[in-house]
Amino acid sequence: MQSIRGRLTLWYSAALILSLAVFAIVLYLARRSASYQDLDRRIQSEADLTAGILAESYRARGVLVEPDTAGRSVLIPEVAAVLEVVPDFLLLTSRDGRLLFASPDARALTFAEFEQLSGLVAQTPPGRVPEKHHIFPNGPTLHYVIRAIPQAGGQFGTLFAGADTRSAELGLQQLVSTIIVAFVIGLVPAVLVGRWLAGRALEPVDRMITEVREITDGRTLHRRLAVPMVKDEMGRLAETLNQMMSRLERSFAALRRFTADASHELKTPLTVVRAGVERAITRPDVPQETLAALEETLQEVNRMTELLDSLLTLARADEGRAELHRDPVDLRAIVTEAGETGELLADHAGVAIEIRTPPEPVVLAVDRSRVRQLVLNLIENAVKYTPRGGNVSVQLGGNGGKVLLTVADSGIGIAPGDLPHIFDRFWRADSARTRTGARPGAGLGLAISKWIAEAHGGTIEVQSRPGRGTTFTVTFLRGDA
Amino acid sequence: MKILVVEDDKTVGEYVRRGLDEAGYHAELVGDGDEGLRLATGGHFDLLVLDLRLPKLSGIDVLRTLRDRGNGLPVLVLTAQDAVDFKVQALRMGADDYVTKPFAFEELLARVEALGRRPKAITPPVLKVADLALDTGSRAVTRGGRAIELTPKEYAVLEYLMRHQGRVMSRTLITEYAWDYHFDPGTNIVDVVITRLRKKIDHGREPKLIHTVRGVGYVVRP
Repeated sequence: MQSIRGRLTLWYSAALILSLAVFAIVLYLARRSASYQDLDRRIQSEADLTAGILAESYRARGVLVEPDTAGRSVLIPEVAAVLEVVPDFLLLTSRDGRLLFASPDARALTFAEFEQLSGLVAQTPPGRVPEKHHIFPNGPTLHYVIRAIPQAGGQFGTLFAGADTRSAELGLQQLVSTIIVAFVIGLVPAVLVGRWLAGRALEPVDRMITEVREITDGRTLHRRLAVPMVKDEMGRLAETLNQMMSRLERSFAALRRFTADASHELKTPLTVVRAGVERAITRPDVPQETLAALEETLQEVNRMTELLDSLLTLARADEGRAELHRDPVDLRAIVTEAGETGELLADHAGVAIEIRTPPEPVVLAVDRSRVRQLVLNLIENAVKYTPRGGNVSVQLGGNGGKVLLTVADSGIGIAPGDLPHIFDRFWRADSARTRTGARPGAGLGLAISKWIAEAHGGTIEVQSRPGRGTTFTVTFLRGDA
Repeated sequence: MKILVVEDDKTVGEYVRRGLDEAGYHAELVGDGDEGLRLATGGHFDLLVLDLRLPKLSGIDVLRTLRDRGNGLPVLVLTAQDAVDFKVQALRMGADDYVTKPFAFEELLARVEALGRRPKAITPPVLKVADLALDTGSRAVTRGGRAIELTPKEYAVLEYLMRHQGRVMSRTLITEYAWDYHFDPGTNIVDVVITRLRKKIDHGREPKLIHTVRGVGYVVRP
């Protein structure tokens, strides 16, 4: 379950099922107990009724048992006819234990079952409390009472009245199926309602998620969540988040101030250093060793300036404040100009370079100096990582709504494990990638290139195979840029 | 031409002032915005070089006040902030151009020249070294009367060296002038351009005009 809403619904449903189940079990047990009590009352009253009939008949007729033609004692037919209508299992024995009468239900049993029943009647002494007996193997389970019949002149032994428990179970089975149906019919809407309630309770959270998600960078950090009037959990959560965002905003503001201050505080001394070096280096009659030292210093000052500029650019980009100065430019001019530089670099490195631009203008509104920086970065990079004798190809092309710039080389390539990191700041592949002699750069070039492409609404992608070469593809959209 | 430099950092300000003086201008330096605004409105100056971060009155405020008063004095802004928005802000306020710190003095000078509409006589349109001539107007290069075809970068490097003929120009300075882009110091792109320039200019001719100063850079002299 991914959402709190799902989990709440699940818990709610589980609780509902549990309480319904307890309710159903209690209901079932109560109903079962009542049902069996009814059954027992029935057999008692059947026994009472039979005993009453016999007592009544004795008073009216006297003799109720007479020998039949074979000399066995039987119940006189008039009384037997009356007893025929008594339901369930009814058995009557004579004083000597012989069976005088069996009701239709009892007569319907198989012979073996009937033997078990008459054995039970013969062995069990009379009592008032109902007993239970199961007739093996597949006969009915009976609740029964056995009692003596003193008011009938001592002509009878015992009276057995019993009823099949199935008649009690029948009602219970109906109850169980009713419960199951009600369970299913009731549970589905209950779960749906539970889901809806959970959704309603969590709606403010969803709203907060949307609002927080819209706060993406330094430009939107001044926004705050709407705090509900009620100071419930949601209200407190919104307040807490707002406080956190205020702290974040303050840190961002501090960072912004620091960025501006640092740029000033660091660039001013750099200006002074630069000025001194420049004055000294352009003075006539400086010894050559001094000039060489000054030249090295100047290089380092420039390196530091570039690093500082890159850091500031990226810091502003993070804040969403690094703005572009866009004008319509024919990208061919930028690529051609960078191409001449690329050709010089390639010449020095012993690498063949090919620059291809389309015959028709490719006009986009871009920041000229930034795009120039992007193109030069990629070309310089390609030349740097291509061994002597290799080749680099730069191609500018349009494709419907897109403008594609590809810089491909036949160089040493990038290991697949390194590919996801090459646009990271300060990231550098292991030293094998840097050619001897060249001091590695600060590792910000590709990070800046990526920012430049994306700030123009474009993308930059890389494909590479170690030992085969690398291709960078920059895509600008005509509509955006 | 009189130039007012408003810069609170004494070393930078002094450097700019002296540099401008050496280039034949009359420069004066003040250290805060109030003073700067007072002098700038006095009408004694032809150009204002203005730092954006100043004590008392910021550079932006000086600029705004100046323009609000209808003063059209050309203003060149010095800024440490590299972001485009600051430059754009300054330009909107009426600055005529800007230079980002740390700047090459050459660049500052070029912009001052452009803004001051300096008389052409001071920068001769045709630079000459022996029989090599470079026309900065038409960008035509000839040696011994024969035209030489140069690519844009070759032209930029040669022009820079000829402007400072007789002086050793370091690789870094040449790169900055011709590219305005920081290359990996290991690439030595200038060497490639120089090799090509030598083929076109010095090959089979005497005297050789382009000379190497090991570990530093190049110099053009007869």
